[in-house]
Amino acid sequence: MADAATSNGRDPSVGAARIGGPPLASTKPPILAARDVHRTYRFGQVEVPVLRGASISIAPGEWVAILGQSGSGKSTLMHLLGGLDRPDAGRGTVEFEGAPVSLGAGRSLDRYRNRDVGFVFQFYHLLPELTVLENACLPGLVGGFFGHARAAAARRRAQELLEIAGLSHRLRHRPAELSGGERQRVAIARALVNGPRVLLADEPTGNLDATTGASILDLIASQHAQGLTVAMVTHDAAVAARAQRVVHLRDGQVVDG
Amino acid sequence: MYAALLSNRYLTSRVIPLIAVGAVALCVALVIIVVSVMSGFLDMLKASGRTLIGDVVVSSGIGGIPNYDEWLADLRALPEVEAATPVIDTLGLLRMPYPSGPSKEIAPVQVWAIEPESFAKVTAYGEKVWWRPPADEAARDAMLPDDPRLRMDASILRDGLTLSQGATGKPGIVLGMHVSVGNARQSDGSYRPRFGWFMPGEQVTLTVVPVSETGKISEPRDATFPIVNEVFSGVYDVDKSRVFIPLAQGQELLRLDAAPLYDTTAEPDAEGNLPLLGTAPARVTKVLIRAKPGTSALDARDAIEASWDAFVAKAARRNDRLGRPPERVSILTWEQQLRDLIGPVEKEREMMRILFSIIYIVCAGLILSIFWSIVIEKTRDIGILRSVGASRLGILWIFLRYGLAIGVVGSLAGVGIAWVVVDNINLIHEAIGRDAPRAAWITTAAVATLSLGLALRALIWRGRLLPGLLWTIATITCAIVTVALIGHRGTLIWDPSVYYFSTIPSKVDWFNAAITAIGGIVFSVIGAAIPAAKAADVDPVEALRYG
Ligand SMILES: Nc1ncnc2c1ncn2[C@@H]1O[C@H](COP(=O)(O)OP(=O)(O)O)[C@@H](O)[C@H]1O
Ligand SMILES: [Mg+2]
Repeated sequence: MADAATSNGRDPSVGAARIGGPPLASTKPPILAARDVHRTYRFGQVEVPVLRGASISIAPGEWVAILGQSGSGKSTLMHLLGGLDRPDAGRGTVEFEGAPVSLGAGRSLDRYRNRDVGFVFQFYHLLPELTVLENACLPGLVGGFFGHARAAAARRRAQELLEIAGLSHRLRHRPAELSGGERQRVAIARALVNGPRVLLADEPTGNLDATTGASILDLIASQHAQGLTVAMVTHDAAVAARAQRVVHLRDGQVVDG
Repeated sequence: MYAALLSNRYLTSRVIPLIAVGAVALCVALVIIVVSVMSGFLDMLKASGRTLIGDVVVSSGIGGIPNYDEWLADLRALPEVEAATPVIDTLGLLRMPYPSGPSKEIAPVQVWAIEPESFAKVTAYGEKVWWRPPADEAARDAMLPDDPRLRMDASILRDGLTLSQGATGKPGIVLGMHVSVGNARQSDGSYRPRFGWFMPGEQVTLTVVPVSETGKISEPRDATFPIVNEVFSGVYDVDKSRVFIPLAQGQELLRLDAAPLYDTTAEPDAEGNLPLLGTAPARVTKVLIRAKPGTSALDARDAIEASWDAFVAKAARRNDRLGRPPERVSILTWEQQLRDLIGPVEKEREMMRILFSIIYIVCAGLILSIFWSIVIEKTRDIGILRSVGASRLGILWIFLRYGLAIGVVGSLAGVGIAWVVVDNINLIHEAIGRDAPRAAWITTAAVATLSLGLALRALIWRGRLLPGLLWTIATITCAIVTVALIGHRGTLIWDPSVYYFSTIPSKVDWFNAAITAIGGIVFSVIGAAIPAAKAADVDPVEALRYG
């Protein structure tokens, strides 16, 4: 998974990206795609268009880095891909496994965020009152009042993931007692606990020094090697280099190279 | 799942929500205590009020009910009726035996002329005659050594129960406990003669005014009776003014006895006599009835009403001019009869309940403001939860559940506090009634000194304002409590020698407690609902970006 691949450009109808690795992958339809999405913020009378017809299509098992300057709309795009936000009305769609997610009602968006994608943020965003293990379990506890069986499964899975992340000895600690790198590992465990197909990472190393950042990227790489699709946003070309494919966000649009 | 986890964590990781729990607990406890004690007083009042009137009271106008014996026989045959007794009820003036010297005090009294034997079957008169020897060893032990009842024999009780002086065979009078000034109520609720005036054995003169059937007032008439006993009902208004005399004497004094009736419209004959119309039957103005056990007063009343109608119909068929029953009598259950007595206390209790319930709104407001700031503080967490798939309803539920937990814990604690307080209210009352024990104020003084030291340490050595302020407040509070305890002289709030009960009701009104606790929970949830809705409306993107 060395060379960065070229995408199909700005024509979403072509669908799949040609990436390195087994040739089969290149013919697969995208697992997650944004098609010509617009997102405009409004300050009273003034409209600030952040995304202006951005399109991206991510193949299953792919690791894509979205490189862009601060304020270019990277986080905005991530929020749209993750179903936390919706494009401007009627201006673009986000599709997961071929079906639009942004048209869904509130409930199915909640479900999408819970099961299909996992978020990792720059500032970890752990809940301070919960222990490491509880934080990692959280997506497994969400959804339904009677989820005891699921909760137990989530607990097992969280323990496995935290072990992989090298945090087995920290399960009962509070986030405040951990270093930044450790916190981000917990956040990754949390993002993966429900077994999502796509990990959405918004500057996952943005708050960490280079060495710690590299270890976080190693953790992501190890999960990617097991088939996880990764969409990662960064303003750091060195970080982006870890991905299979790098696209740029410029002037509200996604462009290659 | 996560809602439970989070609301429990939010509850246990903070001190401020405990203030809300405490506030709910105090509100609930206060309402339960006040309403329980007032309900207890109300029950006492009802029980006392009922002692001397039976279950159903039939009252006629001043003209009275003729041929009442006949109706009493009808009544006693009813399956709903256990016993019935005739009574004459009128007003009178009682010339007391005191002070010594020729001019005596006059007391306005309500005279009940009764048939003591049947009266005791309908009412608790038999148990309420006060002067009597102790019934058994236990009763003897319960009395203070200077209680005059310890030196009495059964004859005084017998006289009281028969309304006659055993020694002379004369008809006697029984006074309510507070008709004479001679009885001093003690703190155990018993009585001692005062000013050397022990009533039984003294003579009193009762003056009444007979009123004719047509409402014409005749010459006042009087009679002298020996006092044979006194009676304690437990309702001050009754004990202050009620006297009992035998029915026959009452009928005679009031001209309600059987008597020949002359035609005053006709010409007198040669000897100056008016033509005799016949004999007017004796009358009474009231009939008291006791319902059969298991029959409600209301059911008994309905049966008695039917019986009265039948009695009137029978009299009408007889066309007896002299024994025509009154057109209207009032037939009331004891509760209806005591409306004037019970009504104000019931209203007072409702007033209290409403007034105290207002503090629920304060509780709800407190929870609202605490939760509001928690929601603002937790905006980022809410965004995180939404990002891992929590629904808006799920977020709402976290905070509602949190409010519910505060309501439930607070209400249960409140019920517990109320239970302990109400259960021990007489002990607490007695403790307030005594001077504060030395140990109490020495302890608070020591705590005050200690917290003063801690306050100074925090302020001067550590330079910390918040702990300094808290310890200063503690110091001032303890100092005030110490001064108050030193200055406290025992004052009984309800002095049993003044008030009419020797113990404060100490039974929790559990029905009311349940309603109050549910109210506490409901208001806590209402207070939580508004911030919870705000939490549900949090935009996750904004929360994650700026939270
Ligand atoms: N809620 C908002 N209201 C107005 N402008 C916003 C809002 N959120 C983001 N923006 C603006 O949109 C632009 C893109 O933001 P963002 O997606 O966070 O960029 P990036 O993650 O690439 O730094 C920025 O200029 C930011 O100021
Ligand atoms: Mg950003």
